[in-house]
Amino acid sequence: MLNSIILSYITFAYFFSFFFYLLMMVMHKEAFGRLATSITLAGFFGHTFAIVLRWIESYQLGIGRAPLSNLYESLIFFAWTMILLYIIVEWKTKNKSVGAFIAPIAFLTMAYASFSPAISSRIQPLIPALKSNWLIAHVITCFFGYAAFALAFALSMMFLLKKLDSPERKNLFLRIIPDSWLLDELSYQMVVIGFLFLTLGILTGSVWAYSAWGAYWQWDPKETWSLITWLVYAALLHSRMVRGWKGNKLATLSIIGFCCVIFTYLGVNYLPGLHSYAKS
Amino acid sequence: MARNGTVSKRTPPFLWSTFSSIKLTIFLLILVAVTSILGTLIPQQESAMKVVQSLSPSLVGFLDSLHLFDMYHSWWFRLIIGALALNLIVCSLDRFSSTLKRFRFTPSATREKPFENLPSEQRFLLQASFDSVTNHVGTLLKSKYKNVKRVDKEKTAFYFVQKGRLSHFGVYLVHFSVLLILLGGFAGSLFGFEAFVNILEGEGVDTVTLRKTRALKPLPFSVRCDKFSVEFYPNGTPKEYRSDLVFFKDGRIAFQSPLRVNHPITFEGITFYQSSYGTLPGNRVRLSLKREDTGDNAFVEAEINQPFPLPGREGEGLITEIKSDFMRMGPAVRLEIQPVAGEKIQMWVFKNHSMIEERFPGIFEKFPKLNPASFKPYTFFLNGTEARYYTGLQVSRDPGVPLVWTGFVTIIVGLFITFFLSHRMIWIQVSRLEKGVNVALAGTSSKNSVGLSREIGRLIAQIRGTMDDIPSSC
Repeated sequence: MLNSIILSYITFAYFFSFFFYLLMMVMHKEAFGRLATSITLAGFFGHTFAIVLRWIESYQLGIGRAPLSNLYESLIFFAWTMILLYIIVEWKTKNKSVGAFIAPIAFLTMAYASFSPAISSRIQPLIPALKSNWLIAHVITCFFGYAAFALAFALSMMFLLKKLDSPERKNLFLRIIPDSWLLDELSYQMVVIGFLFLTLGILTGSVWAYSAWGAYWQWDPKETWSLITWLVYAALLHSRMVRGWKGNKLATLSIIGFCCVIFTYLGVNYLPGLHSYAKS
Repeated sequence: MARNGTVSKRTPPFLWSTFSSIKLTIFLLILVAVTSILGTLIPQQESAMKVVQSLSPSLVGFLDSLHLFDMYHSWWFRLIIGALALNLIVCSLDRFSSTLKRFRFTPSATREKPFENLPSEQRFLLQASFDSVTNHVGTLLKSKYKNVKRVDKEKTAFYFVQKGRLSHFGVYLVHFSVLLILLGGFAGSLFGFEAFVNILEGEGVDTVTLRKTRALKPLPFSVRCDKFSVEFYPNGTPKEYRSDLVFFKDGRIAFQSPLRVNHPITFEGITFYQSSYGTLPGNRVRLSLKREDTGDNAFVEAEINQPFPLPGREGEGLITEIKSDFMRMGPAVRLEIQPVAGEKIQMWVFKNHSMIEERFPGIFEKFPKLNPASFKPYTFFLNGTEARYYTGLQVSRDPGVPLVWTGFVTIIVGLFITFFLSHRMIWIQVSRLEKGVNVALAGTSSKNSVGLSREIGRLIAQIRGTMDDIPSSC
């Protein structure tokens, strides 16, 4: 289908934006940064177009459903939300260095979706359990949450890298990373957004499970892992809001949290459970 | 400690201080997270049954003694959740009084402290009369804030406004919601039930099987499945499962409706969900009888336990059992022949006769019980068994759900208040100087200082912008 062909090209667009963001940081040239931003924006528009096209194509196939219901579509949407949030962050902070850390994550996500032999990009009709409006609310909220956590993860990595910087060390790459306090604040804001969306995602999933299976919580591995992720970020927020933790400790918790996100999203597929349709 | 924590007036301080500690909260959050991982690695409940057989008995015994095959319902996991809930309550109570103080406290309008180290753009001079400036500032503030406090002292008018005081309570709303959800879950496990039932098409039931104990639970009504249907997409994946259900109360039809996946039906507080389906052999079978001597074929439709005459009046046939899968060789029926004279003959007649012959050559000759030619001169063939659909329903009642749903709504509202609203206090001083009127603005915010400076910026623009239009007439 045309949409998946376009999406496989978008993969390369994100690779090039990663490449030029990196070049900007190593060479310290603004022009590369502007080029990287243009490529990212172009990629994002193409990405959006391809998702809409996939939706239209599903109607042309007589299936007619939102492109949010299997592993391929969720990866594509995950990358889309990451890039969207990143564009907002770049626009708000006027700093392009975050791009060098988030673009590779978006690129890998797209590459996994487009080129993994285990993932089918075909538009399949929905099985009865997935025919619910809660599906759309659940997937959108979850992936906005995951994307915000991905940004928090990138910012936390940058925070830890920035620690290596010092005035006598004339490293351009490290110098261009924003100040620690800004990274700390931004990463915290991303965790806040992620936490709100993850909560919404768990709740919508729970309401949906109640209408589909008759129980809002069944301790299925994916449910449990989403709760584990929620608890880790809840611990992070408490340690910051009440104990005033900042810096290294918080960055480490945010990285652990993102590992939980990845396990909730992909690792759980290797465990048995109700979310089996999200595997292929 | 938590279990015998009868709260008396003399609660030892250490108990209170232990449970009001945020360190304990973080520890418990991590503990729930880590123990939950165990449950996703070790198969739980029904799926545990299959795995148990492949483990050594001593390991199974060890895991079972720790309730690890149903850990989310074990006493120790519930104890951790209980401790977390207690921690949540104590922490919230412990901090509530100081929050209430912050909520009630209105600082003096003449405070000078906020004006220390004031950025220069927050202090400016206006060429206008003192009264026109105070009038304007007064109306502007009144249009934007609920209570505008004004104090006049010597040559200065002091204003104080605030908003978002309620945002201090957002975090309590979140904690209350978590407790509400836990309470809803607890109420559900106490007063609710989870069960399942399979109903054959055309039949009715008035009991269901409880998932936990496998005990039968009578329903206060009966339910019949008139028809089960399954629709497929062209590629063979299922599109829709549907059971046409009829509910009977006191022998009369009380309600009827189709049940589909994602569209449960609630009748008298008990909810039915479409969860699975299957087929069972029905009561009718089709046999063909071949006479070896003449080669004639005859067809018979027989019902279980209803004797039928053989075509040549050699005796009577009787189907005594119908199996959808007998000895892993597919559908089969047990046929009993009562000849006019002589002993009864029994045999199993398979549907996949030729296939079985191929796989196990000579099997039918070797075992007379399996040989469809045991009664001369006939050879019996099973052409088909009538299949009947049954629908598998999840049946449950959960009185905790309204509590849980309420908790879901309030937790979102609470998180929104906690993260995005802040308590902002703004002080404004308008002073009469010889050169003109001096205006200074200062503010504090419980969080989101960026939002506060934006708000002050807007106020400054509005005060300066309009004042410039007023002719300086004094």
